[in-house]
Amino acid sequence: MKKNEILEEILAEVDKHPEIMSRRDAMKYLTVSPMAAAILAGATAGATEVQASSVKGKVVIVGGGLAGMSTAARLKNSAGDLEITVIEPDPISCSYQPGQTLVGAGIWEGSDIIYNRDDKLPAGVNLIKGSVTAFDPDNNKVTVDGKQEIAYDQLIIATGLMLNYAAIEGLDGVITSATKDNAATKAKVGKDGVYSIYFQDGAVDTWAGIQELVEKAKKQKGQGKPKLQAVFTHPNTPIKCGGAPKKIMYLTNARLEEAGVRDEVELTFYPNGGKMFGVPEYHEAIVEQYKVRGFKWNYAHNLIKLDTESKVATFNHHWKEKGAWDEDLEEYGVELKSKPVEVKYDFIHVTPPMKAPDVVAQSKVGSSKGWVPVKKETLQHVKYSNVFCLGDVVAVPMGKTGGSARKQYKVVVNNVISALEGNQKAIDDTNVKYAGYTVCPLITSIGTVMLAEFNWTKKPTPMVPLDPTQERWIWWLLKVYALKPMTVMGMLSGRA
Amino acid sequence: MIKKISTITLASIAFLALSACSGEKPAEAKTYKYSTVEVYEQTCVKCHGKHGEGNPAKKTPALNDRTAGEMAQDLYDVKNSGTNQSSGTDHEIMEHNMQKLVDKGYDYDINSMAEFLSYLVKSTK
Repeated sequence: MKKNEILEEILAEVDKHPEIMSRRDAMKYLTVSPMAAAILAGATAGATEVQASSVKGKVVIVGGGLAGMSTAARLKNSAGDLEITVIEPDPISCSYQPGQTLVGAGIWEGSDIIYNRDDKLPAGVNLIKGSVTAFDPDNNKVTVDGKQEIAYDQLIIATGLMLNYAAIEGLDGVITSATKDNAATKAKVGKDGVYSIYFQDGAVDTWAGIQELVEKAKKQKGQGKPKLQAVFTHPNTPIKCGGAPKKIMYLTNARLEEAGVRDEVELTFYPNGGKMFGVPEYHEAIVEQYKVRGFKWNYAHNLIKLDTESKVATFNHHWKEKGAWDEDLEEYGVELKSKPVEVKYDFIHVTPPMKAPDVVAQSKVGSSKGWVPVKKETLQHVKYSNVFCLGDVVAVPMGKTGGSARKQYKVVVNNVISALEGNQKAIDDTNVKYAGYTVCPLITSIGTVMLAEFNWTKKPTPMVPLDPTQERWIWWLLKVYALKPMTVMGMLSGRA
Repeated sequence: MIKKISTITLASIAFLALSACSGEKPAEAKTYKYSTVEVYEQTCVKCHGKHGEGNPAKKTPALNDRTAGEMAQDLYDVKNSGTNQSSGTDHEIMEHNMQKLVDKGYDYDINSMAEFLSYLVKSTK
């Protein structure tokens, strides 16, 4: 990796929006600061922290997205004699998903986030362009496209997850974020006020939708008409990038403000849960940000139906009521109540329910909830000691972000090598444990980001001594200009 | 001058953010009023049974159908009202009950409880 390639990429991004940050300003920070040095070091340094191992064996990685491909690269760097095979059907599986929010808000182009699987395949790693159709962990093999059996010593599951639009009545399709095989979903999503940034084409359409909303608002400005209703949903399943449903709301707000028509639109968040964030400090910060911006929010609403003809969204609104006295608990219990609530919308951003791919969920490596159950610190399967899992499909709390994958893949690589060496004790005792770190660069406007870092202790875990609940332009620089080159060049090469 | 200092400060901070990629801070140690076994035997057992078999009459689920790893995930979800930003939890009743128990001092370490449960289950098979 050439150093100036990364710098060039960062500056090319900066150049697209001189109104947010000039090239001169960016250069100032990048060239005189140690930040650039750190980015470049991360992307170009050797895999120094990994002990080179001469272990031999056959490792199969199911899924060649960010998690799978980075794991393949790091494994190859760490144990060059391994026979590593990645199984991935999608030619653009390495696309940069965190950029979909920025595409949806018109800050990036759709083409800015597309990265080809074949370009990112590490040297010396085999690729099978197909889909795993069966897992047989008792016999250490998987089946590709229903016909080809592949045996392994160690299996790494990194399939990612499925966007389950079909679970919402009125919508259709169970798709991945990059797939072009998405006609069923696009029949209703990406037009007529219904948008979703969670898949690439949907993100491109969302930008058209926001512009349309802005135009509508301009048309009715000053006429005293009822406000246009913009609705943002968050489902009742674990989701990838838990902050995205809020980010697209902040960015829609920014575009409306920019056009001087914010007063014509009401923005309302409808999450299934009862809070903005699991970490109290971030929850409170977001509530404040919502208040300042005049956002509304209604907790405990789960989108179950969309009538795209009449533009009505139906939510299952649920709540608890005091139940009967519970002798065992020595307290009153609770009773669960719910009812459907209809909401008119002019613009709705749908965050679809998400699930593990059926082929994983219904196999022996899956679970009743679908996600692959692992010991969360070691990412080793709870039943099969030669199966590891990471990325969006793994059943760990709060783990479905690229930032989590960046921590997870190093743990998986270490443990797979220990497993191949027959050293289970090294896995159980290792100090390279996944502590649940995840990061949510919450874009709060065009130009500012709150960098919410946290782990399973539910405490903010900022890497720097700055109040992490504040929105800062420095994190915008990190999120919008630096993270993509760091990820695409650093992580996918297995080094950063 | 002030601007210059803040530039340097921010740059250094960014450097720290990007370079401190490895190395997690260890979770802080927490002490509990009761041992894991005491918590189970004084509270959980009433509804989930001596061996985690559950109680159909009370609609309390069995806990003996999952591994320690899976149990730890469920306990995490229950104790934290869900594991995502705004997704909520699918353990709403137990979320309420657990909060009441924690308020009464019956708090515990998740991994320790999950291990104890798997031991309970194994001892019956």
